[in-house]
Amino acid sequence: MSMAAPDAELVRAIAAGDAPAAEAELCRRFAPRIRLYGLRHLRDEDRAADLVQAVLLALLQAARAGRIDDPERVDRFMLGTSRNVALRMRETDGRSAGDAALAAIAAPDQPLERIDAEALFRCMRALEDRARRVLMLSFNEERSADEIAAALEISAVNVRVLRHRSIGALRRCLDAPKEVDA
Amino acid sequence: MMCANPIAWATLVDYWAGDLDDAETEAVDDHLFGCGDCTASSARVAAIALALRSSVPAVVLRSAIEQMRARGSRVRENGFAPGDRREVEFAADADLLIHRLGGLDLEGVERIDLQVTSESTGALVSDIESVPFDPAEGAVYVACQRHYAALPHDTVLSLSIHAADAPPRTATYTILHRFL
Repeated sequence: MSMAAPDAELVRAIAAGDAPAAEAELCRRFAPRIRLYGLRHLRDEDRAADLVQAVLLALLQAARAGRIDDPERVDRFMLGTSRNVALRMRETDGRSAGDAALAAIAAPDQPLERIDAEALFRCMRALEDRARRVLMLSFNEERSADEIAAALEISAVNVRVLRHRSIGALRRCLDAPKEVDA
Repeated sequence: MMCANPIAWATLVDYWAGDLDDAETEAVDDHLFGCGDCTASSARVAAIALALRSSVPAVVLRSAIEQMRARGSRVRENGFAPGDRREVEFAADADLLIHRLGGLDLEGVERIDLQVTSESTGALVSDIESVPFDPAEGAVYVACQRHYAALPHDTVLSLSIHAADAPPRTATYTILHRFL
């Protein structure tokens, strides 16, 4: 099984039986998407990790049983399952129940980039004061653009523009090699 | 294969800031699940959003300090009165050093600004408008963090206190840091 095979080909190989390489590749492709969905909608790293495990388990069970109706759109199956599992997790306000089968899934080890406090601080200091305030109000205090606009007496459109430009500037700063003293 | 119709950076930032409506959020989710390229871009925004979410602001309320303690952060606290000039140690086993800038009558106060300068050079280190405060506390809490070691260690913290129908008052604290 080629690692460049389309998703649908991987799903069909799993349905045909005994295709550990196809299973691993499908998990590798989708784990980051499920994790990001979990981080965005569950807002907790542990619960996002649980979501990855639960959705990959559901995927493999369905694929092995040939229950994925449209292998060409396995991404739709993943998103639908992610939505359902995340909804249940939100309703129960807790982590998913332990399942021995979860441990059998080798969730790919592709951790989200970790930005250390020192690097973030260094790059934040390069921004203008208003940009720093917008970012902290948006992401640290979790205020909406409208609320920030009212607090800073600027328009919500300006808040959004300032915010995405500032995140872009932070990204470039964080990606740049750190200057070292000669 | 490159994405033929990538999600705009600005949309990804709004998505992670929670500033898209439900339909827009679902549309982004739909696209991300089918697109590895845009997932990678989204992860680059997410990493910053999550870092900002977990970062500690320079000035905090007492309630935030107690929350950090409850989560296991090792918090040390030093109290200062206006006019104090004192050395403090940021111990190796501390995660956070709180400077309690006290001795303030904050009744009727509408806004407090904080300016930090270097005592030896006069250079401006930080200038923060409208810091959070609780009038009943009679204090402002500065959350000194280990990465502040990159800043001048001899700091003069000046609070500019604004109340209605009164000229601004100033309270100054000189704190000399030793990072261990």
